[in-house]
Amino acid sequence: MLPNRSRLSVLVFLLPPLLLYGVAVLFPILQSLFLSFFSWNGISDMEFVGLANYVHMLTGDGVFWRSFFNALGYLAICLVLQLGGALFVASLLTSLRRGAGIIKTLYLLPAVISTVAIAFLFVRIYSIDPVGLLNQVLGWIGLGGLERPWLSDVNTVLAAVSAPEGWRFTGLYMLIIYAALLAVPQELEEAARLDGANQWQMFTKIRFPYIRPVWITTTIMATTYGLRGFDIPYLMTNGGPGQSSELLTTYMYKTAFTSTDFGYASTISVFIVVECLVAVGFILLMLKRKADA
Amino acid sequence: MTAQTAPVTRPVPAPPSSPAPRRRRRKPNVFRSLSRTLIVLIVVVQVYPLAWLFLTSLRNEHDFATGDPFALPSSISFDNYARAFQTGNLGQNILNSFIVTMGANLLIVLLGMMAAYALQVLGFRFSKFVRGLFLIGIIVPVQIALVPLFIDYSSVNLLDTYQSMIIPLAGFALPMSIYLFSSFFEYIPRETYEAASLDGAGPYRIFGLITLPLSTNTVVTVVLVNSIFIWNDFIFANTFVLSEGLKTIPLGLQNYIGAMGKVDWTATFAAVCITITPLLLVFLVLNKAMIQGLESGATKG
Repeated sequence: MLPNRSRLSVLVFLLPPLLLYGVAVLFPILQSLFLSFFSWNGISDMEFVGLANYVHMLTGDGVFWRSFFNALGYLAICLVLQLGGALFVASLLTSLRRGAGIIKTLYLLPAVISTVAIAFLFVRIYSIDPVGLLNQVLGWIGLGGLERPWLSDVNTVLAAVSAPEGWRFTGLYMLIIYAALLAVPQELEEAARLDGANQWQMFTKIRFPYIRPVWITTTIMATTYGLRGFDIPYLMTNGGPGQSSELLTTYMYKTAFTSTDFGYASTISVFIVVECLVAVGFILLMLKRKADA
Repeated sequence: MTAQTAPVTRPVPAPPSSPAPRRRRRKPNVFRSLSRTLIVLIVVVQVYPLAWLFLTSLRNEHDFATGDPFALPSSISFDNYARAFQTGNLGQNILNSFIVTMGANLLIVLLGMMAAYALQVLGFRFSKFVRGLFLIGIIVPVQIALVPLFIDYSSVNLLDTYQSMIIPLAGFALPMSIYLFSSFFEYIPRETYEAASLDGAGPYRIFGLITLPLSTNTVVTVVLVNSIFIWNDFIFANTFVLSEGLKTIPLGLQNYIGAMGKVDWTATFAAVCITITPLLLVFLVLNKAMIQGLESGATKG
């Protein structure tokens, strides 16, 4: 604590940020919770309905459950691409003597580009008429039978809208994991090598345990970002065809701003928050237990 | 750079200089060249779509519709760029994005620094609780704020203004910047403050004359990292802005998806190239600072 500080000075520095944060973040959270107990279209009077929105969401709304499972699938694909891809590339990169800087920059490029641009780009990549990059590549390598309109096929659309999000941020997580891998003490690796550890053992016994704290952070980041994914599916397919690429976030958005059902939309957004908190708790629990074992 | 960027580049393991057994030495070499090939391959997959985007923006329409998408453009034309500027309000969109990015960054830096100063340097009894409050903003998804803010904005006539985008963008970015500033302030030695206090400086002068000037590097980091997200924000802009004159780049791009599904792809890609250029240039010039910011933001988070 600063010797000459006064209570007033603390308030002077703390109040403005708290005010902005309260208006933009804290108050809306409470307001969502409040609205979720009402039925309201924004124009007529608000009607208190108690838990009816929650009951309807959990027991009577097929679209909700469809969106929930889609969101889990979306998350799974994002995690594999982002964390798996990042860990793989970062490990490879540590064996590189030169050029790591350039590769880091190139790899991070997609993260700088707006989601709207990425959505456009991938709509073209997936298209079949005119033939897009993906179908062209499949034709080339003799898998022409797999060519299809990826975004209008109900079986592939979810994967097709998840991949761009995964692709976009792999570089970011790679960067973080790479930095952590570089911090693994040389002596540890040296000692393991003298003991005859192979590359795989080196990775599982030395490097990975050492970067575990960073791994937990990145897993939490990737999971919460995956659960709030919105722009790319919304722009590429708007949840379609049918509900086959509808996520909880896009469903919530449509409920609020297309059907103007603010109460029910708030119920869904409360669910999204709970889902994020549960996911974070779950990850912490799982990875902590593993570390203790 | 700043003190909080702990991970510094370490010399990559040199080949064992001591005479190691022959087999030992060869194995890592095979591994190394294999991994080098893999890295190049992955980078190509990662970057090729962007190169393709750029090449497509230089094709003429006929070439695009009939030609092989992988081939180099048969002739380079900048017509698409001219058409891109005619179609939408590209200039206006870029200006709007600048205003929103600047406004939000100003709030994020100033308020983030103030909060971090109160929490880290001044200290007070409930600081743990306040830190916890700010942590919520990192975990909670931004979507929760859409409906309430829409309702609140419409009751105070803030819908369709720059502020309607700036306020939530700054609010949700604040926790991370407080975090980055706090961890930097930790490294300013106590003695500096004590000496200044003995010379009669109060908390305001210490903030203005010591903490603020020392934080330049962290300010750059915070601004760079946040600018990526703010420049590209779609969700707040799409929800709170309706009039053409206020649309930012992500919204402006939507105009290029023409009516009746007829899309002028080459002009669209030209527009995309124009709009990503400012950020891309900043990124390429300052990517060291940005990379360090992203790394330190997460590894310590």
